[in-house]
Amino acid sequence: MASCGNPDVEADASMTKRPKYDRNKTCVKCKLQTGNIVIRHAVYCKDCFFPLMSLRFRRTLEPHINPNPQQHRRKGLKASGNLLIGLSGGLGSSVLLDLIQKTYLSPRERQQGDQNPNGITCPWSKIFVVYVDISGIMIGAPDKSSPVEQFVKRHSTTMEYIRVKLEDAFDQTRSPGLRKILLKVLSSSTCSPLVSLKTYIESLPTQTAISSAIQALIRVLLLHTAALTHSSHLLLGTSLTSLSISLISSISQGGGYSIREETQEEWTYRNQDNIEQIVRVIRPLCDVGMKECAFWAWWCGLKVVGKHRYSGGRQDIGALTRDFIMGLEKDYPSTVSTIARTCNKLTTKGGTSMKCLICQRPAQSGTQDWKQNISIRSYSDINPEDVPPGHVNLASRASDDLPPSNPHSIASSMCYACHTSWTSKSIRGRITKQTDIPLPVWLKISSSISEERRQITMESMRNTIDDFLLDSDS
Amino acid sequence: MPPKLCALCEAAKATLRRPKTGQQICRECFFFVFETEIHHTITEAKLFKPGDRVAIGASGGKDSTVLAYVMKTLNERYQYGLELFLLSIDEGITGYRDDSLETVKRNQQQYGMPLKILSYDELYGWTMDSIVAQVGRKNNCTFCGVFRRQALDRGAATLGVDHIVTGHNADDIAETVLMNIMRGDIARLGRCTAICTEGEDTIKRSKPFKYAYEKEIVMYAYFKKLDYFSTECIYSPDAYRGHARAFLKDLEAARPSAIIDIIHSGEAFEVKDEVKASQRVQRTCQRCGYMSSNPLCKACTLLEGLERGSAESGLTDRARKKLEAEGPAPDNVRTIPFFNKPVTGNPRVSIAVEIPPGQ
Ligand SMILES: [Zn+2]
Ligand SMILES: [Zn+2]
Ligand SMILES: [Zn+2]
Ligand SMILES: [Zn+2]
Repeated sequence: MASCGNPDVEADASMTKRPKYDRNKTCVKCKLQTGNIVIRHAVYCKDCFFPLMSLRFRRTLEPHINPNPQQHRRKGLKASGNLLIGLSGGLGSSVLLDLIQKTYLSPRERQQGDQNPNGITCPWSKIFVVYVDISGIMIGAPDKSSPVEQFVKRHSTTMEYIRVKLEDAFDQTRSPGLRKILLKVLSSSTCSPLVSLKTYIESLPTQTAISSAIQALIRVLLLHTAALTHSSHLLLGTSLTSLSISLISSISQGGGYSIREETQEEWTYRNQDNIEQIVRVIRPLCDVGMKECAFWAWWCGLKVVGKHRYSGGRQDIGALTRDFIMGLEKDYPSTVSTIARTCNKLTTKGGTSMKCLICQRPAQSGTQDWKQNISIRSYSDINPEDVPPGHVNLASRASDDLPPSNPHSIASSMCYACHTSWTSKSIRGRITKQTDIPLPVWLKISSSISEERRQITMESMRNTIDDFLLDSDS
Repeated sequence: MPPKLCALCEAAKATLRRPKTGQQICRECFFFVFETEIHHTITEAKLFKPGDRVAIGASGGKDSTVLAYVMKTLNERYQYGLELFLLSIDEGITGYRDDSLETVKRNQQQYGMPLKILSYDELYGWTMDSIVAQVGRKNNCTFCGVFRRQALDRGAATLGVDHIVTGHNADDIAETVLMNIMRGDIARLGRCTAICTEGEDTIKRSKPFKYAYEKEIVMYAYFKKLDYFSTECIYSPDAYRGHARAFLKDLEAARPSAIIDIIHSGEAFEVKDEVKASQRVQRTCQRCGYMSSNPLCKACTLLEGLERGSAESGLTDRARKKLEAEGPAPDNVRTIPFFNKPVTGNPRVSIAVEIPPGQ
């Protein structure tokens, strides 16, 4: 549109640069000591920083520990299952592990950052730490699983370390647990899991799709590990900064329908006794910025291993969003919290109709029709009353029209974002026509996890995926 | 190598790569998909009914120039039965509007559509040039945006139309979704993806180009040889929006569907009920009768600030309170003429419009 773009601009909504530092150098909390860190325009000293951080962590986490949130927390915290901490080796999850340790496991050893004056008993009977190793697909990247394991061992003798490889998603022999939980496997693959994983990734049409597929695989592996360890809670080290990045990145990939799940979600599955179980996925650091996490790690002497992050560079929406938000935060320090706060005021339209087979998040139905109406990709998609140009003979083309999309195909069980990942091309088009794409294990089983209980045959999956990969340009 | 065939008709030679889908297609097929997608947008949302009088907000820029052409084409092809008008706002920016208004006047003649030009000067007593002379280049886009919105409604009321269509395209909407999230504007976020907005007191407005890519609008204008002017405001827009725009361009380069995907996201969520309940209710401005969430509407507030030499008072609450403390507005400040809510049911008021020659 013309000129300044939006006629809706209003003064109260326009963003002005704010000074990064407040004038006052004294801590706002104790009003005695000189400040060491600026958090959202307020100065804190080192001594006041630890309780503040602890408070934010517990305020986010503790209301969700008891199975029934209404149950008064003063009566004590008691989870219905074990705890699984997702450790990536990165800053946020390392700080998270440290906070769990200091808050719930070592109440008697007073140490720096310890905020357990009342000697809270640990709400979980067992604590597991899972590391998903993605080094298999990172060319030349070292395997970090042993330093990560050492990090866990150094921290705690009670936490149990579990290592899962990304390719386990394609391993039908190494995932007996998956089968136990998710019933029978319909097909057997001849390739090694790592080869299957690589083939799967290479079949995706964009860098963005690769990044988000890796994220989705990690997520589902974490959820399955939570189920295997009988965990009622899966905690992730997502900081406020990373939360804002993933919110914008998800919105930019069409994931608006699962915006609430970016912050918090509940995943339901049936155990081997066919009893419904819930895993709560909580991000206890989602109110704490990355900078605060860095200070915590520095002052507590945490030896953060560092994480592998797949990046498709300028062709990867996730990586672009990260650069964009980190850049904005320098000049507009309130951006990150504004994004999270705004998204927290949103809910999704209409009821959830199903669960996406790929990412296991709620999905809308009818998104295929929506896409077809808005972007016509074939004359077979047009409405009867539409008037095609004179040179097009629709009658002679009827024979090569694709068969009408099967309502029970995998496409109709995918959320908008996952469907887009699989089908949306980049202008550069890195399309290879593949006929035999390996799929993660959970897609190969009868969809006992799908709320709709649709039986999906391998054949129909293959057919639909084949369609996705047809390059209509060639 | 044989020439690459159009991915759609598989008959003609592919001559372009479609910005929206990346498909290589022929020119005729491009016209068809571009126009038909807009037709789908219009029919899906049931935007019009036969006999509607519709004003096209025309700036002489690419979006509204193509919009006028496509509206005329679709109205004839699919027998919408619409009476189309052109409505232009003259912000009073020397050297910027003069040329583009020429385009609008030429469209008036080519398409045989009645044209109404309404200027900020005649409505508010201020041109953008004089506003910038007073407020500088910092917040001028705020003035321009608020004044334009109201001017369009008032122009439409004089034309006696039921409906205003504007050239907002998919890029604009995606950018606005991102902006509203980044600056926490929850009220606007809730409605910015709506194809059609209709307040109790305002004329229905809609965006038939909601899903049309800016690049395709340009491509369409180029192939159809529709000439237009750059309407990029010479008074630079706010830097924050500039960041969002650059980011969106990067996203589109990485994956062209990103623009549509952001709009889909925006349509999938809504503001929580408890948050909605805390939002202020709409009423009408006590001075000019236009819709407002405060006793004075934004335009009247801004105008009073200009008139009393305190432009800031329209922009911040603090400056506003300071101005109010100085007492009520003196009688000699210029105000906006009272806005009489257009009566629904279409009163055919007599209107002063320029009738194209030969009609
Ligand atoms: Zn202090
Ligand atoms: Zn999904
Ligand atoms: Zn063609
Ligand atoms: Zn007013």
